[in-house]
Amino acid sequence: MRILSQIFFFGLFAYLFSKTHFTGQDYISPVERYFHFDPLLGLVTSIAGRVFFASFALAGITVALTVLLGRVACGWVCPLGGVHQFFSFIFKKAKLHRPKSASAGPLKLKYYILIFILAAALLGLDLAGYADPLSFLYRSFAVSIFPVLAGAASALIGLLYKLKLTGLGGTIGQFFESLSLNSTFQQGFFIGLVFLAAALLNLVRERFWCRVLCPAGALLGLLSLGNVFKLKINTQKCIDCGLCNLQCQTQASPFPDEEWKGHECVYCFTCGAVCPTAAIGFPAWKRAPRREPRVSLERRKLIWTPIAALLVAPFFRLTPAGKRPSASLIRPPGARPEPQFLSKCIKCGECLKACPTNGLQPVLVEAGPEGLWTPKLVPLLGYCEYYCSLCSQVCPSGAIQELRIEDKIKVKIGTAWVNKNHCLPYALGKPCIVCEEHCPTSPKAIKLVETQVRLPDGTVSTQKAPVVDYELCIGCGICENKCPVVDSPAIYCTSIGEQRSETNRLLLELLKTDSGPY
Amino acid sequence: MKRREFLRDVAIGSLVLNLGTKQSLFGQAAQPPDLAWVEGDSPAAITRAAVDLLGGMKRFVRRGDKVCLKPNIGWDRTPELAACTNPEVVKTLVELCLAAGAKEVIVTDNSTNQANRTFLRSGIQAAAKEAGAKVLLPSPFRMKKMALGGEWLKDWEVYLDVSEADKIINVPIAKHHSLARVTLGMKNWLGAVGGARNQLHQKLDQAEVDLARFFKPTLTVLDAYRMLVRNGPQGGRLSDTKLQKTVVAGVDYVAVEAAGATLFGIKPEELPFIKLAADRKAGRLDLEKLKIEKRTV
Repeated sequence: MRILSQIFFFGLFAYLFSKTHFTGQDYISPVERYFHFDPLLGLVTSIAGRVFFASFALAGITVALTVLLGRVACGWVCPLGGVHQFFSFIFKKAKLHRPKSASAGPLKLKYYILIFILAAALLGLDLAGYADPLSFLYRSFAVSIFPVLAGAASALIGLLYKLKLTGLGGTIGQFFESLSLNSTFQQGFFIGLVFLAAALLNLVRERFWCRVLCPAGALLGLLSLGNVFKLKINTQKCIDCGLCNLQCQTQASPFPDEEWKGHECVYCFTCGAVCPTAAIGFPAWKRAPRREPRVSLERRKLIWTPIAALLVAPFFRLTPAGKRPSASLIRPPGARPEPQFLSKCIKCGECLKACPTNGLQPVLVEAGPEGLWTPKLVPLLGYCEYYCSLCSQVCPSGAIQELRIEDKIKVKIGTAWVNKNHCLPYALGKPCIVCEEHCPTSPKAIKLVETQVRLPDGTVSTQKAPVVDYELCIGCGICENKCPVVDSPAIYCTSIGEQRSETNRLLLELLKTDSGPY
Repeated sequence: MKRREFLRDVAIGSLVLNLGTKQSLFGQAAQPPDLAWVEGDSPAAITRAAVDLLGGMKRFVRRGDKVCLKPNIGWDRTPELAACTNPEVVKTLVELCLAAGAKEVIVTDNSTNQANRTFLRSGIQAAAKEAGAKVLLPSPFRMKKMALGGEWLKDWEVYLDVSEADKIINVPIAKHHSLARVTLGMKNWLGAVGGARNQLHQKLDQAEVDLARFFKPTLTVLDAYRMLVRNGPQGGRLSDTKLQKTVVAGVDYVAVEAAGATLFGIKPEELPFIKLAADRKAGRLDLEKLKIEKRTV
């Protein structure tokens, strides 16, 4: 029953994940809805971004559910919880992991992580995305796991063609082409390793992530006040074997029942299932006397954690990223001004998955430490498709403002520059015009001018050569992407002139209208 | 004999043989015109009329043939922006091919923007499928480097779904282009190859001719229902287009090319790629000496 529920919600997650691409419609349904049920993301994004994003009202449902019933969301709904439980199950079956009794100390770590994240949020630092289970899972799937599957599928198709099974290869190939899977990600390997590490932690303890690390679980633990269904052990049946404590997936210590930790229990009912005498039940409204306080944290750590967070915020901003815009940090169209963007982006990877050209990539260093895994456009890998605003539609936290297509095509995200030293007409006196041909605006932002070049043999070649009109260029990067100089394109985009920024500007508006000298 | 000469001779030889068979085919009936030039309000009707004037699709497609239609589906633009071939023209040709007994009609293009966007937004995917065609998204597994036997292009990655068809029908759209001035049928072959196509611009005229001579279309149907007259090859505004309401079709693709040039007010011999193709005996550009049937429907 529970497993069915987990499979269902994981399936739902995977379904919405697979729907996050160009489906033939300019506007797609809210495939990012999952995130809005996450109170941690809602809370942190609201605190850090200083504004409540209305969609996160849905998190209230999760909160209400948790207050009433305890952490059922962790045990029955959370797709990452399901994934961890699946790995735990596999490891146990393969005899790689044997549950053993463990100290309850590390369980508290997740509460400190939560407090740390919340305190950092007060300073506008959005750390939730790194540790939130939904963000973590989505990002790992988008950047690593799906690309791996796509690579495997591609290898299979290649094999079918090698075996001359062109019909079958063609059919499967057409299917994959239609999905427009993004398969190339900077840091794909690295983010995959992080996911692998999280999965391997299940070797140390069952559902290690959920027990020790998950700040969303910690928040739900703090909220689990009511717990209508409380664990009750039938003392007549109980034979004190201790199996329930050993097998409990989240170390909620079911035995003795007055020490049961309601805030750790995810209602997986493993204890009831392993009990040899079926002594364990969860009757409603039965009050058991409790010795264990709800969540007991040490006062000293409770004080030091937020202080540490206060210091960490400036630590995260020790880079020049905030002082000077980075040339290669081209944010997706609709992205808020950088400080707001950073405080709202939950690094979930929705936009990376939705981008039809695979141009949106996770940032490593350009935006400073707090910008790790936020999106940027890398025109070398993919350009910003002119009539597409999918990234802005799927952003769950409003870091990228939702745009209509007719508005999106006017948003300037950067500017193209010609490198005459590399450009075929300018440097080699050869015809080209590929950038101009691809420029999607009308009139084109790339104009051609007749240019004379002296060739090595002394003769003069006259060619049409590209010149960028700064006013018309929107910085989509298709020119850079299609430039035949593939290693270091002769036309390239930088972030300057991006509309969202008041500082990363170049030409003054007033110069345009001002005709006289003074 | 050098390899190059051998290949050239084979190419010319096969071309001559090709023409020979065609002449014998319509020898018994009245001589069809070299070009069919039809104007009218309906893209479907003018396409149908143009093919009929040339002797009907049965002249080009035999029962059981696998036919590939190669429209321009290069850009993420809707039909009224005239960056891609008119979907009605494509649809009509699919219907005609199937009616003539074609076993399978493939419609495809190695597009410039994302294929699943261009195929949809151009309206061609829906129109061609409705008519019963198999619409194929370009796949990297279907590009294979092969000898083209061209004067300049010796070998290049060819899109197999196009080259492996029994009959190839070229369905370009007439558009402005800032390097070639205009692009018509021969430039359309850049969408039937893979590889680093953007390097072909360095000798675009030669590339066009070499590719056209490699693919040797059975028929060329130039869509000039709505032509792109500026900001080519993708336009972007309605004002970049011109409603010409014309289709020009013919077996001699150089002649179609020449007729297309005149739609832009350009003399065929002014365009180097047409001149080059005629010089290489790929076809004729002397429109005044050709038999041209003009119709309005």
